[in-house]
Amino acid sequence: MRTGHFQETTGQLIALTDSPAVIGWTGVLIAGLLAAPLVVGNYELTLMVTVLIAVVGAVGLNLLTGTTGLISLGQAGFLAVGAYGNAVLMVDYGWPVWLSLPAGGVVSALISLLVGIPSLRLKGLYLAITTLAFSFIVSHVILYAEPITHGPNGIFVNGAKILGVNVQKGPALYYLTLFVAVCVVLMVLNMQRTRLGRGWLAIRDHDIAARAMGIDLTRYKLLAFVVSSFIVGIAGGLLSLQIRFINIDVFGLILSIEALAIIILGGMGSVAGAIMGAVFLTLLPEAIRIAFNLILTPGSAFYSTYVYEIRGVAYGAVIVAFLRFKPDGLIGLWRDARKYWSNWPLAY
Amino acid sequence: MDLFLLFVSTGLVIGASYGLIAMGFALVYKATGVVNFAHGELVMLTAYVAFSLTQAFDLSFIPLMLVTIPISMLIGLALERIFIRPMLGEPVFSIVMVTIGLAVILRGVTMMIWGPDPHNLTAGVTTRVIMIGHLPFYAAQLMSIAALAICTALAWAFLRFSRIGIAMRAVAAHETAALLVGISVKRIHAIAWALSAALAAVAGVLFAMNFKLAPDLWFQGLKSFPAVILGGLDAILGSAMAGLIIGLIENLSQGYIGQGLRETSGFIVIIVVLMVRPYGLFGDKDIERV
Repeated sequence: MRTGHFQETTGQLIALTDSPAVIGWTGVLIAGLLAAPLVVGNYELTLMVTVLIAVVGAVGLNLLTGTTGLISLGQAGFLAVGAYGNAVLMVDYGWPVWLSLPAGGVVSALISLLVGIPSLRLKGLYLAITTLAFSFIVSHVILYAEPITHGPNGIFVNGAKILGVNVQKGPALYYLTLFVAVCVVLMVLNMQRTRLGRGWLAIRDHDIAARAMGIDLTRYKLLAFVVSSFIVGIAGGLLSLQIRFINIDVFGLILSIEALAIIILGGMGSVAGAIMGAVFLTLLPEAIRIAFNLILTPGSAFYSTYVYEIRGVAYGAVIVAFLRFKPDGLIGLWRDARKYWSNWPLAY
Repeated sequence: MDLFLLFVSTGLVIGASYGLIAMGFALVYKATGVVNFAHGELVMLTAYVAFSLTQAFDLSFIPLMLVTIPISMLIGLALERIFIRPMLGEPVFSIVMVTIGLAVILRGVTMMIWGPDPHNLTAGVTTRVIMIGHLPFYAAQLMSIAALAICTALAWAFLRFSRIGIAMRAVAAHETAALLVGISVKRIHAIAWALSAALAAVAGVLFAMNFKLAPDLWFQGLKSFPAVILGGLDAILGSAMAGLIIGLIENLSQGYIGQGLRETSGFIVIIVVLMVRPYGLFGDKDIERV
C-alpha cells in the first residue's frame, strides 16, 4: 500500500504536476475541447463560450480573493472596465481585436491601482466595502462619461476580426475564448509556483508574518490587484464580444456576487476549483431551466417572469450551503473522493 | 438661499432614512462583528410585510408599526437562527459571505412573493404639504426625521441603562470576557439581529411612505453604507448622525457640483473615509491595519 506521496526536491514540489495521469487526462480534455465544435450544436457552443468566459473571470478573481485573501465585491466594475475598454477601442478607434482585447485588460489593471492603493491599508470587510463602492462609482462614471462611453446608449460591438475571420460567432469565438482561457489558466498556475505566488499565499495566511519574512506587502498586494484585474478585464472584453451589445445594466451587483459564488463553490485558492466552480455555476441556470420545464408546463409564466430572481436565489443558496456544509468547495469534495479511493478500505 | 434650504431639508429627509438603516448595520456589527449585507433586503422585506398588513387590515401608521415591528423581529430572529448561528466560530469572511448569499435569496423571494410592480404605501398618513417657514414638507418626511430622533434616543437609553444593552456592549468589547462573566453571547447575537430587524422595519416603512415600495428598495441598504462607514462601523448613534451628514452631502453635491453625484458622492466618501480614518467619525479606533 502507498504510505504517502513524497516530494523530495524543490523542483518536484513546485512542478505543475508530477502525475502522468493528470497530464494524460488534461491532454484528453484539451483534445475534447478542441474537437467540441465539430460535435455539439450552436446552442451548446454558446453555452460553452459562456462557461469559458466565466472560467477566465473566476481564475482572475480567485487570484485576488482565494490566493491573496483580498475580498473583492467589485468584480462587476472590473468586468465593465474591461468590456468598455475593448468595445471603445475596437468600435470607436478601430483597433484590431487582438490588440483591443488585451488593451481592455490593461485599462482594467490600471484602474485597479486606484482601488488597490486605498485598500493597502485595509483588509477583510473594509476592503470588500471599498471594492463595492468602486464598482458603483465605475458604473456611474461610465453612465455620465457619455463622449467616451456612449453613456446610457450602450455600445454595439460588431465586426471583430482576426486574420479576416469574424471572431464573434460560432466556432471562431469558441476557439478564441478557449485560447484565452488556456493561456490564463497556464499563466496563473505558473505564477502560483513562483516567489510571487508563494508570497501571495503567505499574505493570505498571515500578512504580518509574511511581512516579517521579507515580503513587500505593498508591492505584492498591488501586483495581485493588477494581475487579477487584467485577467478579469480580458474576461469582460470577451463578454462584450459574445453579447455584442453592452450597457451598464449588464454589470450589476449580481455579477460580482455570481463571481464570488463561483469561487466559493469551486473552493477558494485553487485554480482547478475556480474552473469547476465556473462550469457548475454557469450551467446551474441551465439545469434550473430544465428542471422547471420538467416540473411545470414548458415555458410557464412563473419561470419566465422571475428568471433572474430564481437565478439569484440559486446563487444565494449555493453560497450559503457550501459555506455551511463544504467550505472547501467542489475541489474539497474531489480531494475527499480521491483520498477515499486511494486509501480504501482504511479510513485514512 | 431658499434653494439651499430646500437642498438641506430634502437632504435631511433622505439622510434620516440612511441613518435608520445604518443604525441597523451598526447594531449587528457591534454585537457580532459581522457586516450584515442582507440588511437592505431586510428593510425591503419588512416594508413589504407592512404593505401586506395595510392591505389586509387597513391599519393606520401607529398600529401598523406596532404589528410590523414584532413580526420583523421574529423574521430577524429566524434568519439569525437558520443562517448565522450555525456559522458561529467560522471565519468572519464566511459569515459575511453567508449574509451576501442571504441577501440575494431574500431579494429573489421578496420579488417572487410580491411581484415586480411598485406600490404606494400611505398607511393613512396625510399627503398634504406642511409648510415650515418657506419650506414644504410632507408629513411622512417629518415622520422620518422624528423616527430617527426617537430611535436614536431609544438606542442610547437601551445601551446605557438596560441590562441587555450593557451586556451587548460587553460582548462588543470582549466576547470571551463577556462569556466568562455569564453573558450568553448567542442570545446577545440573536437580540442584536432582532433589534436590527426592528430598525429595518421602521426604516423600510418610512422609506416606502416617502418614496415608493418597489423591489429595488434593497438598494437603500447599500446606499446607507457610506453612513455606516462615516459614522464608524460599530458606532450605533454615530451612524444615525452620519446618515444625516451623508444625506446632506449627496443633495448638496448634486445641487451645486454636478449631475450624478447624488448616486456616487456617498461611495466617494466611503473611499476617502477608509483611506483617512477607517474607524469613521465616532467608531472605536481599534481597527487592524496592515
